[in-house]
Amino acid sequence: MNIHTFLNVPFHVEPRNIVDNDPQERVSAEAAILNSRVHYYSRLTASSDRLLSPPNHVIPGPEELYIYSPLGTAFKVTGSDPSSKNPSIITIFAIWNTMMGTSILSIPWGMKQAGFTLGILILIFTGLLMLYCCFVVLKSPKAIPYVDTSDWEFPDVCRYYFGKFGQWSSLIFSMVSLIGAMVVYWVLMSNFLYNSGQFIYNYAHDVKMSDSEFGTNGSDKVICPFPNTNPRGNHSMGTLYLGNSGNETSSSDVSFEHWWSKTKTIPLYLIPLLLPLLCFRSASFFARFTFLGTISVVYLIALVTLKAVHLGFHLEFHWFDTTQFYVPEFRLLFPQFTGVLTLAFFIHNCIITLMKSNRNQENNVRDLSVAYLLVGLTYLYVGVLIFAAFPSPPLFKDCIEPNFLDNFPSSDVTVFVARTFLLFQMVTVYPLLGYLVRVQVMGQIFGNHYPSFFHILALNIIIVGAGVLMARFYPNIGSIIRFSGATCGLALVFIFPALVHMISRSRQGLLRWPSVLFHSFLIVLGIANLLAQFFI
Amino acid sequence: SLSSVLLMGKSGSGKTSMRSIIFANYIARDTRRLGATIDVEHSHVRFLGNLVLNLWDCGGQDTFMENYFTSQRDNIFRNVEVLIYIFDVESRELEKDMHYYQSCLEAILQNSPDAKVFCLVHKMDLVQEDQRDLIFKEREEDLKRLSRPLACTCFRTSIWDETLYKAWSSIVYQLIPNVQQLETNLRNFAQIIEADEVLLFERATFLVISHYQCKEQRDAHRFEKISNIIKQFKLSCSKLAASFQSMEVRNSNFAAFIDVFTSNTYVMVIMSDPSIPSAATLINIRNARKHFEKLERVDGPKHSLHMRMR
Repeated sequence: MNIHTFLNVPFHVEPRNIVDNDPQERVSAEAAILNSRVHYYSRLTASSDRLLSPPNHVIPGPEELYIYSPLGTAFKVTGSDPSSKNPSIITIFAIWNTMMGTSILSIPWGMKQAGFTLGILILIFTGLLMLYCCFVVLKSPKAIPYVDTSDWEFPDVCRYYFGKFGQWSSLIFSMVSLIGAMVVYWVLMSNFLYNSGQFIYNYAHDVKMSDSEFGTNGSDKVICPFPNTNPRGNHSMGTLYLGNSGNETSSSDVSFEHWWSKTKTIPLYLIPLLLPLLCFRSASFFARFTFLGTISVVYLIALVTLKAVHLGFHLEFHWFDTTQFYVPEFRLLFPQFTGVLTLAFFIHNCIITLMKSNRNQENNVRDLSVAYLLVGLTYLYVGVLIFAAFPSPPLFKDCIEPNFLDNFPSSDVTVFVARTFLLFQMVTVYPLLGYLVRVQVMGQIFGNHYPSFFHILALNIIIVGAGVLMARFYPNIGSIIRFSGATCGLALVFIFPALVHMISRSRQGLLRWPSVLFHSFLIVLGIANLLAQFFI
Repeated sequence: SLSSVLLMGKSGSGKTSMRSIIFANYIARDTRRLGATIDVEHSHVRFLGNLVLNLWDCGGQDTFMENYFTSQRDNIFRNVEVLIYIFDVESRELEKDMHYYQSCLEAILQNSPDAKVFCLVHKMDLVQEDQRDLIFKEREEDLKRLSRPLACTCFRTSIWDETLYKAWSSIVYQLIPNVQQLETNLRNFAQIIEADEVLLFERATFLVISHYQCKEQRDAHRFEKISNIIKQFKLSCSKLAASFQSMEVRNSNFAAFIDVFTSNTYVMVIMSDPSIPSAATLINIRNARKHFEKLERVDGPKHSLHMRMR
């Protein structure tokens, strides 16, 4: 069969006047011929095949790229396209911002659980370990040959290596971290709302609460909310945590206590506020408020500095023995701190996406290291200062609460501001987290991000229900954080990255015995981390 | 048995990509990276009449492949018209590469001593621009020295610039019988029919063998562009189980005709005088065709091809 073709319209147009000898060229010759080659080569392979894709050093710079309109004119690509690249400093800041979560409130408690010196050492060690695992995650898509992995995230890499099992398990563990965070948020929001409400009520009704809580005297009051749960403490001392013990117990105060209870009623008051927000179809409105998180962290740092300056340092080094006021420098409870840190340094499920917009990709390793360093320093600063400044002679170091703001009474103004800030920030981040959970769960199970309102409502009720139950019966955010951190870290930080690294290296024929030993040790560490949460 | 063109080189040097680009072959992903390329019987690529293109991975395979290669050696290297050997410029094992190249040359000397040898130093885009000439010159010297007594022609190539197309055009130019006579007659033909430009393409690859132009043209890359466009069109035609024969493109400023010419070639004629009717030009091309066919059959030094054409 032969075809004699009479083409009226050429399918390749260069906007050029071929009649006049107009010297003005809108397209450079190199770009035009490269365009022709790319067109042709793309016909020779499957669309996802990278074999004949132009490498970066071959593509002209953005000043030579043109967009053709159907009318034949060509526009230059002006600077930023939708997927614009960020300089290193912005990428570092984005990583720092994303990693800084509510775990910062638990760092002093974790340090207390591990012992001051051991806590510092563990923080550095865990930070480095998780940074290495983050490198592995970041480099994993690039080691996959012949497939276009440019829009893959780590669960896609797991699916490539481990099939459906890998995809589902990485999804489930990712959900553990997200839902764990949402439960922590609910507990904290209840806490902050309670304290803010208490502050406003006391301010309005001019109630003094200074005698009813066990704490220091003076203007910078630090309290110990649960003094007789301190095993080292003198049980005869201190009153139970109660409301007013003063003589003026007016009935309105008592009923206020009744209706404004941290664990009994406030978690329920949050439901009508947050459940509707969770049901929004799109979360882009809430993404505007991410700057609040940064302000909150900066304010917390300033607050911590202020308190440390006012309270002074109270440190005594007792290496292994326990005393009444202090904790040993090395304690067996340290796995609780590693559990908290696993969630505090966790970013492995979205680091690939965050790094993609880095302008100079060759600096990825350096930028990630700097980000981890800054995060580590922030945590270290807060942890050390709160721990050191905690007034130990009247109080016990063991009193440091999993949420260190709980160690300050609700009448403290600066802390009230912090709590309000954080409350507002969490109310805006909570729907974002809910959206992430919804997208991943609905996307995987139903293939559609918004199957129907009832599906979404059911999912949201489950999530909110978990939060309310935790806030009611077990509002210990330290435990929630360490369990969810160790669980999701097991898969997404230790096991999957180590396995992926070893498998890809062995496929390239580059796997060496020291590498196998080291990465197997990482897996053992991850499992030990999780098991220790249950037994210690 | 057919004459062959051997495309050889180390595994991963770019032979399959090169064949795909030059001959417009689709590369299916699964057919790659399954070990060394064993390509002999299944090659359907023919060009320049009855030459068959065969790809072979030379060097770097496991012992099984080495033994297979050695045992098939005489079959592979018999009746070879052309050996095209590809060197990856980034290779870190230069000694080994040269060693394998030399053993191929030995086999050629034994089995097909009249074969032409071409060496392509490939993937030059990975070398910095200011160093390319220097590095290529070094390699060329080494290769020419090592190839004695055979004479080899060296090119530096990359699929991302015009060097690949030009290298293969030069290779094919040297393989067309009576090519200089074709060129002289082409010029006469062009002047008679008052064409602006006339191009002669090799049939299978649309590499430009020869051209005539009566005035300066702006676009230096136009040959490669036309080749790419037509090869894409051929790919589309093959999806319909159709084969491309001829094409006419016309607007108020020019008319271009692409048509079969001789058994080895296509011709492209560009007329900038739109008043000349298509039929006239097509008749001219048809008449010229007979004349050029005769030219190709006239005795010349390389007539092993002609024998098989009959």
